[in-house]
Amino acid sequence: MNEIKVLFFAQLRDRADMRETQMELPETTLVSDLKLLLAERFPGLREAIPTALVAVNREFAFNEDPIPDGAEVALFPPVSGG
Amino acid sequence: MADPSPTIFAITEDVLDLDELVSRITLPTSGAACLFTGMVRGITRRGDAHETLYLEYEAYQPMAEAKMRQVAEEIRQRWPSVEGIAIVQRIGRLDPGTPTVLIACTAAHRDTGVFEAARYGIDRLKEIVPVWKKEVSPQGETWVEGDYRPDSGDIQAGSSPV
Repeated sequence: MNEIKVLFFAQLRDRADMRETQMELPETTLVSDLKLLLAERFPGLREAIPTALVAVNREFAFNEDPIPDGAEVALFPPVSGG
Repeated sequence: MADPSPTIFAITEDVLDLDELVSRITLPTSGAACLFTGMVRGITRRGDAHETLYLEYEAYQPMAEAKMRQVAEEIRQRWPSVEGIAIVQRIGRLDPGTPTVLIACTAAHRDTGVFEAARYGIDRLKEIVPVWKKEVSPQGETWVEGDYRPDSGDIQAGSSPV
């Protein structure tokens, strides 16, 4: 199993009602698999996950990307800085 | 000897000192600086007219600073004559009239792309730098959501695959 940390920002943090969580994932988990797992574990996130952006180790990641052991994963909405 | 291509990128909770930031990217050879700053708009007339009491900014700081570095690298590739680059985003609670962001580029002369480079910098920051703002108005709180969805072309060149 891979151990990872998941961070939530902005609306995603409000919806999850937490800043971060630890998860154990099978070694072959992809970003798309993690989204499904998160939607199961945190019902409040369900609506927001389809449009959420994902970063793995501080770089944008996409559905087909794998999640390596020890990864720092972040979920957040499209950015609105400036 | 002075750094020939000073680059500043930061997420900060401190007041943006525009003069100080520009001076830090000014070289002996610099003769032009183009500076964009955005501030909190208290009264919006365009589109959905409304009043803003304040904005609350947050960032995914380590990734935001990495993506700011990427924006600076993209500017240098496109406008090699740019000398210094500063990209700074302020976070926390910011009241109307307060500068929230600074993008500044310096060059030897004004006709070398500094205007375009600064414009590119702010546009790109609003696409790929993970910062968000919540707007607080007399009617309540609303997260402002961007509309850009990054793709694999927005990954930093040379970054290691995950």
